[in-house]
Amino acid sequence: MITLLQLLITGLLVGAVYALMSSGLTLIFGVMRVVNLAHGAFAVLAAYLTYTLWSLTGLDPLLSVPIIVAVMFGVGWLSYNLVVRHVRGSHISMTVLVTFGIALTIEGIAGFVWGNQSRTVRTAYTDTSVQIGPFFLPTATLLAAAIAVVLLGALFLILNQTWMGRAVRASAVNESGALLVGVSVKSISASAFALGIATLGAGGAIIAVMYPFIPGTHYQWIARLLAIVVLGGLGSLMGAVIGALLIGVAEQLATQYVGASWVEIVPFLIIFIILIVRPQGILGQKLREDATV
Amino acid sequence: MSIKKLFTAASAAALLVTLAGCQAPAAGPEVPIRIGASLPLTGEFSQGGADTQRGYEVWAALQNERGGILGRKVEMIYKDDATNQNTVVSNYNQLLSNENVDLLLGTQSSLLNIPASTVAERAGMLYICASCASPEMFNRGFEYSFFSQQALASEQGAAFADWIIGLPEGERPQKVAYPSLDDPFATPAVEGVRKKLEAAGIETAYADTYPAATKNFDAIVTAIRDSGAEAVVQGAQFEDGVNFVRALNRANFQPEILYQSSSPTYGQQYVDGVGVENTEGVLFSSSYHVDADTNGNKEFVAKYREMHGELPPEDAADGYAAGQVLASVVESVGSTEDQKALADWLRGNQVETILGTLEWNKDGSPRGEFLLGQWQNKVSEVVLPAEAATTDRITRWRGGES
Repeated sequence: MITLLQLLITGLLVGAVYALMSSGLTLIFGVMRVVNLAHGAFAVLAAYLTYTLWSLTGLDPLLSVPIIVAVMFGVGWLSYNLVVRHVRGSHISMTVLVTFGIALTIEGIAGFVWGNQSRTVRTAYTDTSVQIGPFFLPTATLLAAAIAVVLLGALFLILNQTWMGRAVRASAVNESGALLVGVSVKSISASAFALGIATLGAGGAIIAVMYPFIPGTHYQWIARLLAIVVLGGLGSLMGAVIGALLIGVAEQLATQYVGASWVEIVPFLIIFIILIVRPQGILGQKLREDATV
Repeated sequence: MSIKKLFTAASAAALLVTLAGCQAPAAGPEVPIRIGASLPLTGEFSQGGADTQRGYEVWAALQNERGGILGRKVEMIYKDDATNQNTVVSNYNQLLSNENVDLLLGTQSSLLNIPASTVAERAGMLYICASCASPEMFNRGFEYSFFSQQALASEQGAAFADWIIGLPEGERPQKVAYPSLDDPFATPAVEGVRKKLEAAGIETAYADTYPAATKNFDAIVTAIRDSGAEAVVQGAQFEDGVNFVRALNRANFQPEILYQSSSPTYGQQYVDGVGVENTEGVLFSSSYHVDADTNGNKEFVAKYREMHGELPPEDAADGYAAGQVLASVVESVGSTEDQKALADWLRGNQVETILGTLEWNKDGSPRGEFLLGQWQNKVSEVVLPAEAATTDRITRWRGGES
């Protein structure tokens, strides 16, 4: 029983970080129907920026989150205006190709700037854990999960309580309607893309503390993040959170009770089963095939 | 001279000029020997790939300073396979068909060398790989593939297993855990140790393979801790090895004996990843030691420091040794033309390298023994075999006498 609870705790903590990272991916798809395959690469870029700040100034990586978020917002805004907006509204395969191109470009730039050697950010709390009774709570993961909860809360507030958030949601639900009521969908799309990348930037700063990384690490992240947003329902923020927590817990339980070799297969089995029952994912909505942007 | 004779003479002259133009240039001293290699310079294995490339570069630089091979300079041609099995195949095809290379060197990791070597075999080209320890490389009846390290993966932990078996009864672990990356190198390395320890009556408490995408090892460590294992033998590449040590600390689980197949050989990057205090006592198999008194090692270390400003990691040394093997076989045979003769020469001879003396079985697998290394007082030492040891002390993980 203790082991089961321990796995649930660590699974939920890791799931919270997954949720933060996948929230931007689902937001971007929700607003502009772009499957952003560069999402993992943006996360690794944020991890490198965190590493650079930490190694140059000694700034704690978790304290550098606001800086990284601001920088990544700019990176996202630039990427959208330079590249993504040209394929917005195209067939989904075009957006997949273009964003994969961005991923490869970021990988190349990161390799050129930082080299293809593994980087790691070690802090005083990297290897420690908080002991509560028989349970251990990894300190870095605990802090990361707390930051994820705060940022996700802020994202929900932005989307639900601000004019920009309402415009983003309106653009996602009914673009023509949004245009009719005076929402500049083009401008909102750029903001939504930048917001998604900024949120991911926080996730990148967090993973820099938790795991070593190289430019090629983004392939592992994008596979996991896509699985999460498909499970939660493409375009649904709350769905991504639920999907992330489910995947986080499923990975932990599968490792213990089924075998480490099944850790990738079990979450996909869960996705498979859920998609049979709900093809649009847990909280996703059916997309109109005739709806074009 | 009649017009007819003039025309005939002009035609003959034109024919001669044409024939002369078509003739291939002689492979004289001014024509470099072109050596092709694909490496994972991007993607998931880029760290090892970049180190191997540095080893190749240092070898080529030193070889050229010595006058090249057979009096011809060495020219290296690299392609990036992006850690992709399909790309590595097309890269070697391009090296052979478009780049017209004279010789080949291998890529990094068994995962990529297995498909790459099929291209070389089909073309009848000698294929010397610095990092292809999987037994799968050499059970296919290939004639041209050779591994330029001392032993296959299944034998790499032999010295470690023998040390455990030889411990006094009270110090011997009774239960051992074997987590391993799902990889053609890591899994056979762990299985080789497990086979020996089980035969000696040591119980297996936990054994499982995890996929390369595994990031969080908390659950695996929890399972190992619950199994009652006293020693852990992990088949690890770099990132998973670092993540595993971090997870051990987070769970406050500290087995007395910790062996990792590869990650501790990454030198300073491993120290940066796990923290210097956590390196103490970690055991690992290694092909190379920077202080080894082997053929050309001093020159290699000095040149590597000159070119890259640091001590060479193991993958770079392995790349360099592959170059030494290539140079040795070509110099001995006297030509690059007959690739079968090159392969046959390697099957019947030894080569002195910075990794020590290398010799091969008929299938191209090496006949040697790996070193057992251990991090002690922030330094990577060789602890076994005794004749190569840099210290006579073997300690437990995180210190403590053994």
